[in-house]
Amino acid sequence: MLNRTVIWHIARYVISIGVLLLIWWAVSAIVEAVKDRAFLPNPVQALREMWRLGPTLFRNFWVSAWRLVLAISIAFTLGYPLGLLIGQERRLDQAISPMIYIIYPIPQVAFILPLFLIFGLGDPVKVAIVASALFFQLLVSARGAAKLIEFEHITSVRSAGASWWQIYRHVVLPATLPSILTSLRVSVGLGMAFLFIAETTGSFDPYRGGLGSFIDSNIYAPKQAFAGIMAMALLGLALYIVIDVIERIVCRWKFVRRKSS
Amino acid sequence: MIDVRNAVVEYGQGPQAVRAVDSVSLEIARGESVALIGPSGCGKTSLLFAMAGLHDLTDGRIEIDDSPLDGPRKEIALILQNAGLLPWKTVLQNANLSLLLHKIYPQKTADAVLEDLGLGSVKQRFPAELSEGMKRRVGIARALSTEPTVMLMDEPLASLDTLTKERVQDLFLELWIQHQFSLVLVTHDIEEAAFLGQKIVVLTERPAQIKMVVDNPEMGALAYRGTDAFMAVVSQLRKALEE
Repeated sequence: MLNRTVIWHIARYVISIGVLLLIWWAVSAIVEAVKDRAFLPNPVQALREMWRLGPTLFRNFWVSAWRLVLAISIAFTLGYPLGLLIGQERRLDQAISPMIYIIYPIPQVAFILPLFLIFGLGDPVKVAIVASALFFQLLVSARGAAKLIEFEHITSVRSAGASWWQIYRHVVLPATLPSILTSLRVSVGLGMAFLFIAETTGSFDPYRGGLGSFIDSNIYAPKQAFAGIMAMALLGLALYIVIDVIERIVCRWKFVRRKSS
Repeated sequence: MIDVRNAVVEYGQGPQAVRAVDSVSLEIARGESVALIGPSGCGKTSLLFAMAGLHDLTDGRIEIDDSPLDGPRKEIALILQNAGLLPWKTVLQNANLSLLLHKIYPQKTADAVLEDLGLGSVKQRFPAELSEGMKRRVGIARALSTEPTVMLMDEPLASLDTLTKERVQDLFLELWIQHQFSLVLVTHDIEEAAFLGQKIVVLTERPAQIKMVVDNPEMGALAYRGTDAFMAVVSQLRKALEE
């Protein structure tokens, strides 16, 4: 049975979407009034276009969705454990952190051309572009979260005879999960931006597809382009909801009613 | 028996090394309770952590029941300042943790201890849902679950209000009498030391050395707090710390 918190959570999303659509409508009307032309389609036109383009849009939605989810999964699987190790093991931190400090500030778009040269055309390069951008983001977050673990929690399990692996299993992993899930939310936005770049770069690429490519190829047809943009927003929203649900399950302790002291 | 011989604890190496504990020797008989008291940052926690097997000694040795201590052991339990509970584990999971890590099965003891300490109804709750006093009791349940012969406590009641503190002190005393473990309590609270320590070791400023040992033979009853003997020990300790 749905409890009141869940209903309120859903209601907040519905209200937010409603407010956004209203703002969009207003901006579209203002642009039309000022420019005397409908450069910016209103939400109803875009939604109607979404409905009309259904199967095509749906196909591109899934292409983008699996590319993004695969890229996030790869970045998470590599960046999270490595970040934890660097944050917890002082010698590893001393050895690797300087390299991270050198590479992390470089704009990730600079790596796009080398990635095309390495992976060629097709899906792998698109996934690699997004994954490489998110990898450092998740690695740096995990490292920071691992460094902030309370000394008492580690001492508590060490005094009970915990092995190296048990310290990670019972303290380091659960203690850093909330931070890494927050970072994962940021990664969704960043990942969408890089996916758009990856899907629109290389007009010669025969394996384009995806929402970025769809928007790019409809750039002079605003209604179609906005249908694609709305599909991207839906993809982002779906991933945020998935992360929220995961957090509710794996960080149940964060959502309990706290006893005031 | 806990036998500490010329224990030295240093942090860092070479000329930058900082000495926290300097040649401390101490004998604690089985079932005896000892309070270590000293100024903040004097090194008493470093000494306690060495007795828990968490710090290697720079020099000297520690033996528990005639065997050299080379790491944490299941017969040694440590209770930390904020009970050391893991916020992501339920009360039962926290209480079971020592048993799980020491691979002691079946894990029935923690369940029974929780019931004994009146925590049966909150077993599935998380620490954030508990009062400070309850959190301390969960910490005690975890420590008792492995049936230790040595109980080490690092300022376990710091930050509690006076009444809760006295209630938990009473509980410590009852458990010490009931389970007959050796108790080593690190505290900066003079009255706590006088209430729970048969022997009270006063330490110097860092690096910790033994300044004085005060015998407190009349402790051991809940009514001891407030008696003339208790007040005399408190006053003796205050004087020793002020010197």
